[in-house]
Amino acid sequence: MPDLGLLKWARRNSPWLLHFNTGACNGCDIEVVSLLTPRYDVERFGAKLEPSPRHADVLVVTGPVTRQCAPRLKMIYEQMPSPKFVVAVGACSCSGGIFQNCYNISGRLDEIIPVDVYVPGCPPKPEAILQGVAKLLAKLKG
Amino acid sequence: MERFEKALEVLKNNLADSIDELKVPRPRKAYVFLKPENHREAISLLLKQVEETILSTITGVDLGEEIELNYHMICGGTVTLKIRVPKENPVTKSICDLIPGANLYEREVFDLLGVTFEGHPNMERLLLPESWPQGNYPLRRDWQAPEHQEDVFMSKDESQPESVSEASESLVNVIVGPQHPVLHEPEKFSFTLDGEKVVDVNARLGYVHRGIEKAAEKMMYFQDVYLVERICGICNAAHTTVFCQAVEDIANVETPPRAQYYRTIVHELNRIHSHLLLLGVAGHLLGFESLFQHVWRDREPIMDIVERITGNRLMSGFNTIGGVRRDIAPSTIEKTLKTLKDVRKRAVFYKNVFEEDATLRLRTEGVGVLSREDALKLCVVGPVLRGSGVASDVRKDEPYAAYDEIPFNVISYTDCDTWARLMVRVDEVVESINIVEYALANLPDGKIRVRVQRKIPEGEATSRVEAPRGALIHYVKSDGSAYPYRVKVRAPTLANLVAFPDAIRGGYVADIPSVMGSLDPCFSCTDRMAFIDTNNNKKWHWSLDDVNNQKNRKVLI
Repeated sequence: MPDLGLLKWARRNSPWLLHFNTGACNGCDIEVVSLLTPRYDVERFGAKLEPSPRHADVLVVTGPVTRQCAPRLKMIYEQMPSPKFVVAVGACSCSGGIFQNCYNISGRLDEIIPVDVYVPGCPPKPEAILQGVAKLLAKLKG
Repeated sequence: MERFEKALEVLKNNLADSIDELKVPRPRKAYVFLKPENHREAISLLLKQVEETILSTITGVDLGEEIELNYHMICGGTVTLKIRVPKENPVTKSICDLIPGANLYEREVFDLLGVTFEGHPNMERLLLPESWPQGNYPLRRDWQAPEHQEDVFMSKDESQPESVSEASESLVNVIVGPQHPVLHEPEKFSFTLDGEKVVDVNARLGYVHRGIEKAAEKMMYFQDVYLVERICGICNAAHTTVFCQAVEDIANVETPPRAQYYRTIVHELNRIHSHLLLLGVAGHLLGFESLFQHVWRDREPIMDIVERITGNRLMSGFNTIGGVRRDIAPSTIEKTLKTLKDVRKRAVFYKNVFEEDATLRLRTEGVGVLSREDALKLCVVGPVLRGSGVASDVRKDEPYAAYDEIPFNVISYTDCDTWARLMVRVDEVVESINIVEYALANLPDGKIRVRVQRKIPEGEATSRVEAPRGALIHYVKSDGSAYPYRVKVRAPTLANLVAFPDAIRGGYVADIPSVMGSLDPCFSCTDRMAFIDTNNNKKWHWSLDDVNNQKNRKVLI
């Protein structure tokens, strides 16, 4: 069958996001939710928040990874179909932030699963997360 | 004020023999040192003789040879009952039979400090992972993190459902979480269902437990302000205000009046955005998607003015010990007043929606009922308590910042259901707008902060504020250095979560989201605690190593 690039086109035009909080303080979470609401409206890029890992293309993770969340995070990542992409939102996800070295933190996100896009900030503004998503889409295009 | 004095009278008259010392260092703050094992007597006296007495939390402090337990009782003020147990054999009697709301607090102390409470119905882990090594109590001062081995801390995936036990044929166990599409925060609930009816529910907390209380001991007071701010991104101003107040109490610092007004303003803006956020989420949970989108759109102007005032949308970094860090420009005040005018119109509109929309009322009225007696017994706080007909608000009971100079009403509804809890929040948005407008119109002149020494004198302080979700209490103990000896945080959600099983029991599966939502859970606050382990030179290995090879596919923005 000839490759029409249909899959790639579809993926680029409607990335479905799965949001998982692995120990965030809620700051990044509500900024991620803000993205879906009228002012930022990430749905104009075809992005949709999707609860099931089986249906999602992009895993959006906020917060440092706590010991209790790490196994579940890994499980969700493994359940997602390939190709899959991971966006680390916020300082905690990128580096552990203010919580690095806390006793119940098992590490930053890329110590647990591979990460494609880092969005720093505490919390990042919705514009920054939007830019991260746009960069990811640009990468899918290339 | 009367109730507080009455409480002290009751204690002095009936328990003179068992009281070692009674201190009232500040108005409405009392510390009562009791002889061992006399706490039950004191607590039952307060519960019987002073109306509307609730337990705020239990703080354990490791004093070296002994562990001190502080029972923070709220009766018109904060009465802290102190007892000590030997660290060798830390056992004391549970107070769950006197006041069921103590359940989670005792488990918390057991989990983190290893104090066993005799007679507790369910003495189990609350926050730490199940695989946490036995005999390790992270909040003890001498605790050293054990050498990290891969399987010590994390031997199994705790997110797997437990087996159905003792369930009769018609009962079904349903596990929700930790990852859940609606809550946006990981937490596990296991419901026992009989058909569509909810028979019982168990919550497993701790997925967001990071270790902030221990981390706070390793950082200086000034740095801790930024740490406690990150307990919760939504009510960040409440956390910094309460922590700064506690430290200022110990150091005897008078914050300038202008700073008090600024704190009030940012605190109230925080409340407006938090309540709007929850009302939107409630719309979403009730299947009213357009309400969610509308409310969140109207929340954005508030975020804009918060950003203009503090420099950031969420983590404001506005409060500091001794005052606030920024002045507000006159042009910003003008903009704020204009924005609030628009938001007020929308808030009034939403009040109409919540009062008149038939579908919304059908889905919330008579659902998740929590009676006044239960609410007091379970020690719930904030809008949940006020929705059950108890007009209790820290801003009125123990005025802080500028609340004693600003007129406002305490909202309460007597319906005791989900609708009442949502209505409390709708009305409070308008009330908060009034407060901000009044504060901006009556702003006193003067300095915005006073300088405070890094070293804070020896002492202790409890401080309470009304966070958007309810009473928030911080307990800070200082040993005279620049680092706190103990910081204890009790966030409002931990108090309100106890009420969830009682509110949902007997309800329908379809009511679960709305009842959960009406309690406004915020698990980052609840799970906080934890701390720093500097020996962490281990490495975690995951079975995903092969996938990790693809690490070069990174985009940095």
